[in-house]
Amino acid sequence: MKEQNSIPASKVARSAKFVGTGFKIGGNYIKHYSKKLFNPELTKDELNEDNAADIYSSLSELKGSALKVAQMLSMDKNILPKAYVDKFSLSQYSAPPLSGPLILQTFKKHFGKTPDKIFDKFDLKSTNAASIGQVHKAELNGEKLAVKIQYPGVGNSISSDLKLIKPFAFRLLGMSEKELNIYMNEVEERLVEETDYELEVVNSLKISKACANLPHIVFPTYYKELSGPRIITMSWIEGQHLKEFLATNPSQELKNKIGQALWDFYNFQQHELRAVHADPHPGNFLITPDGNLGIIDFGCIKTLPDDFYYPFFSTTSSDLLDNKEETIKAFRALEMVLPKDNPQQVEFYYEAYKEMITLFAQPYMSGEFDFSQTGFFDSLYGFGEKIAKMPEFKQARGVKHFIYVNRTNFGLYNILNELGAKVKTDTYKPHLKLEF
Amino acid sequence: MATKQKIQNDYINHVLTEGKKPVTVFAFAKKNKFQEDEFYKHFGSFDSIDCEIWADLFKETIKEVKSQEVWETYSAREKALSFFYSFFELLKSKRSYVNYSTENFKKGFQTPMQLKSSKNIFEEFSHDLIEQGLETGEIADRKFLTDKYKDSLWIQLMFVLKFWLKDYSANFEKTDEAIERGVNVTFDLLHTTPLDSILEYGKFLFQNAGFKTNF
Repeated sequence: MKEQNSIPASKVARSAKFVGTGFKIGGNYIKHYSKKLFNPELTKDELNEDNAADIYSSLSELKGSALKVAQMLSMDKNILPKAYVDKFSLSQYSAPPLSGPLILQTFKKHFGKTPDKIFDKFDLKSTNAASIGQVHKAELNGEKLAVKIQYPGVGNSISSDLKLIKPFAFRLLGMSEKELNIYMNEVEERLVEETDYELEVVNSLKISKACANLPHIVFPTYYKELSGPRIITMSWIEGQHLKEFLATNPSQELKNKIGQALWDFYNFQQHELRAVHADPHPGNFLITPDGNLGIIDFGCIKTLPDDFYYPFFSTTSSDLLDNKEETIKAFRALEMVLPKDNPQQVEFYYEAYKEMITLFAQPYMSGEFDFSQTGFFDSLYGFGEKIAKMPEFKQARGVKHFIYVNRTNFGLYNILNELGAKVKTDTYKPHLKLEF
Repeated sequence: MATKQKIQNDYINHVLTEGKKPVTVFAFAKKNKFQEDEFYKHFGSFDSIDCEIWADLFKETIKEVKSQEVWETYSAREKALSFFYSFFELLKSKRSYVNYSTENFKKGFQTPMQLKSSKNIFEEFSHDLIEQGLETGEIADRKFLTDKYKDSLWIQLMFVLKFWLKDYSANFEKTDEAIERGVNVTFDLLHTTPLDSILEYGKFLFQNAGFKTNF
């Protein structure tokens, strides 16, 4: 891969990058429509592909939080055309690496020594990008290690990055800036947390300990003394990413096993720990040669407060959903139904959200669910598209916690779908409250 | 017997506590208990001490980066980056002196007298880098301009120095960013760019546009 040669760091330079992208996209449209003049059959697929490529290359050059947003956008397959999704999915695996001297400099600053004095072996070429940093292979006392290094100034540039992303975001999502703000703030908060490598080590140790008894899941060992504000050292987990794993044509049995491990990992966290690894993009998982699931990134942890947890997860049970009065109360608690809504609106949103939740909760309703069936996903996306066109949903609704919880669960569903796994869904069930 | 190192240290000590140069060599020697002629054995004037202190910083940095195992495997760009990072790491230990000294730099386009020998050292160092870059094709060879390449690195270094003096971020993280970005920009410009195609095209037109047009 080509090494990253320039990182536009100041806001001006970053803005320039986006302006450049804008121009290119404009160009793509001109190209598209002039071609269409001669060939009316031309679909928008090529245009979408050109646009996605340009947006991706500008995002990946920006690195840091912009790349993170690219990853997030790619999670929401239902919102973006397929071409965007394919291109954005790239960002889930790799971004161009940083220069060798900067890596040495980072080590010297935190440990007073260069990496070759700390480790027996240290590979100056990174193996892959970790969205706000990159991963290097190292070895110490015969153990293989993964060393994650963060780019300087990432924390500082997050808010200015998000401001730049905003116009793109509300054009893509069709929201107004004001509505977008509560959600953007939530995203900013998580992203800032994600740049805190010391917090990540604490989280990793905590969650990997709490989940130690879950079957078929492995975590790396974290080395606190070899970690710092911008460096994390952990043991190296050998394994394949989802796409590589699927390319080996694994048996249905093995796919189910991995899928089950994923399901258990997420639902144990959501319902027992009430704090969840909210970043289920394929780059954070590895399938080990002995058929276990390795979990390698704990940057993004979303805690679920009770006043969100109970109303939200209780609606996934038909016990509550059959009781219209209590369901509306739960919707009010989640700000899906707002105080200023008139009775017709209450009725409308009740019906719409009930339909959505019934769909979303389908895997929970029976003890087992086959995620390979595309019918479920088609109706999910179909519903998403329908909603996107309804004027009633022009205005954003729902408390801010939805962003990461939806992202987590849709992400999980998507991965299980890609995996084509059939899983037992009653292993860790939501705790319910039937009155609000 | 006053060694060169002792005189340098005494001098730094003096300027940092007094905020200015000693009045005379005689007073300086007396205060630090050595003979005046010992001073002249090593230095011609106080200015030459300043010159020497800076030159030492450059020499030390070059020695350090070259002693790193990875040095031989680096590209020209990485070598330059490595020099910049190590140089500003080293400057940290002398930040007060650097502050004092740069305040006394003469304004203008001329190289400050204090950096005269440092510049020669740096140019020699950059020359090797550029040669390497030209050989590997990392840097484009441009008639007349190639000789000026080392100046662009020097200007970059002076720019980062100014930036660093005003950098109040924790651990000088912003300086790290400035280096990564600045050095990369310099090397991107030295690399074959659209500029080269424009120059080539211009040359072609100049040589071949022997035809007359009516407009």
